[in-house]
Amino acid sequence: MSKTMGEGWRKDPRATQRLVMDRLATVMSFVATAVLVLALASILWTLLWNGFAGLSIAALLHPMGPPGSNGGLANAILGSVIQTGVALILATPVGLGCGIYLSEFGNGSKFATSVRFVSDVLLSAPSILIGLFVYLVLVAPFGHFSGLAGSVALAILAVPIIVRTTEDMLRLVPVAMREAGSALGAAHWRVVLFLCLRSALPGVLTGILLALARVSGETAPLLFTSLGNQNWSFSLDKPMASLPIAIYQYAGASYDDWVRLAWTGALLVTLGVLSINIIVRFGFRSKQS
Amino acid sequence: MSEALHDPSLMSQSTALPEAALAVRDLDFYYGEKQALKSITMDFRKQSVTAMIGPSGCGKSTLLRIFNRMYDLYPGQKATGSVLFDGANILDPALDLNMLRSRIGMVFQKPTPFPMSIYDNIAFGVRLHEKLSRSAMDARVEDVLTRVALWKEVRDRLKEPAAGMSGGQQQRLCIARSIATKPEVLLLDEPTSALDPISTARIEELLDELKQDFTIAIVTHNMQQAARCADQVAFFYLGSLIEMDSADRMFTNPRQKQTQDYITGRFG
Repeated sequence: MSKTMGEGWRKDPRATQRLVMDRLATVMSFVATAVLVLALASILWTLLWNGFAGLSIAALLHPMGPPGSNGGLANAILGSVIQTGVALILATPVGLGCGIYLSEFGNGSKFATSVRFVSDVLLSAPSILIGLFVYLVLVAPFGHFSGLAGSVALAILAVPIIVRTTEDMLRLVPVAMREAGSALGAAHWRVVLFLCLRSALPGVLTGILLALARVSGETAPLLFTSLGNQNWSFSLDKPMASLPIAIYQYAGASYDDWVRLAWTGALLVTLGVLSINIIVRFGFRSKQS
Repeated sequence: MSEALHDPSLMSQSTALPEAALAVRDLDFYYGEKQALKSITMDFRKQSVTAMIGPSGCGKSTLLRIFNRMYDLYPGQKATGSVLFDGANILDPALDLNMLRSRIGMVFQKPTPFPMSIYDNIAFGVRLHEKLSRSAMDARVEDVLTRVALWKEVRDRLKEPAAGMSGGQQQRLCIARSIATKPEVLLLDEPTSALDPISTARIEELLDELKQDFTIAIVTHNMQQAARCADQVAFFYLGSLIEMDSADRMFTNPRQKQTQDYITGRFG
């Protein structure tokens, strides 16, 4: 320090300690981040390495087959698309309606509060439990597994996600917009449907797509409901193949070609979920601004 | 300065003034237990601009929101007394609210464009109350946009989202949207407080034109605005109407000391 500097610049005895603590905290949070990124990166690397090895035209076009028969995953891909599609068709109206009720019509009533609570519990319910429940309701009484039962199980998992995002997004609509609609003489339902829902639409669609992403990788609820199928299966009334079940069957098998296909299946599911997330992130962000 | 607060002569100055569109009599208003307006009696005259001034929280906006029963949206708020409008008491619970709101329009503090095109923003309100042919609707949209001096600016982008307009344009669109349902009364709740001076000046000019056809009630914190635009000015304080008079008189020679203190900036 130069002699001309004032007394106020005298070195604070705790300055060194503060600096050390600051560095330590920075290093610790960096290490924690690195651990997370490394874990994710190694999962993705393993997946890409093993998945692309088994990726072929046959894997995408041939149905599952016995070991060594040049089988593929086509029937499982189709089954997954059908079951998640039907699940979404079942879950969207219920979830939307429920979210709209909670945000716009429940008005803090006891019923709305309990519905919200139940929906939140369902959000974190173990998915295998949902599978068992649907097994008891839709499989056991009919005496056979079915794609529809699988779709219902997935729908039950998707509904609370849609409810939550719909309610949250509607609550973000400014009060001023509702009042402006009412001030023009629009009935409440019109304000909700044509102004609030329309204004919240990007967020609501995001919620529906996130629900799709969430359920498309589910295995446990399908084990007891749609079971899986080695052949082409188009009927919702019969057991239906799906990618997660195929991965589950093939990954533990002792045949090399089956294990390779399991990795390929995992890659396909991941790519599907990833592309949904990318669509959500970029597709809707531009519309919102 | 010794006159009573509610000198009846303040209300009935002259028979030459146009008749009252809204006649407020002994109006009390409560937010739950809290009384926000105390025994308000005043007239809003046809084809004139009545400005309501006073410090924040004194009940100006509350009064405005009674006239279109906006307070009905919220449980726990209640009004007693009467507000006569075209022979009916606005406070009557049996009144058709959607009809009332088509006859008494409202513009809010912040522009509230609906998430749709400029054209549909205007058509939305009209469709609620009238069935118009396509060409009649086109004509109505052009008419109201012309009246708010927006037509030339937006006629080439009627199909574009209203959210893409500037704040001043959005507020003029909101005024156009309100007058498109052909109301008799227009309520303006600090319509320029979120706008820049140029947009503000445009809206003030607009008020002068609109008062030919509408009864206008405006809440404002801007004294110059009240002086420029209003025919009558009402000063509110702590839920009471302190004084109401012509704008000239209020800003040059108010009867009440409180009014004088407020407009000269000594409190508020």
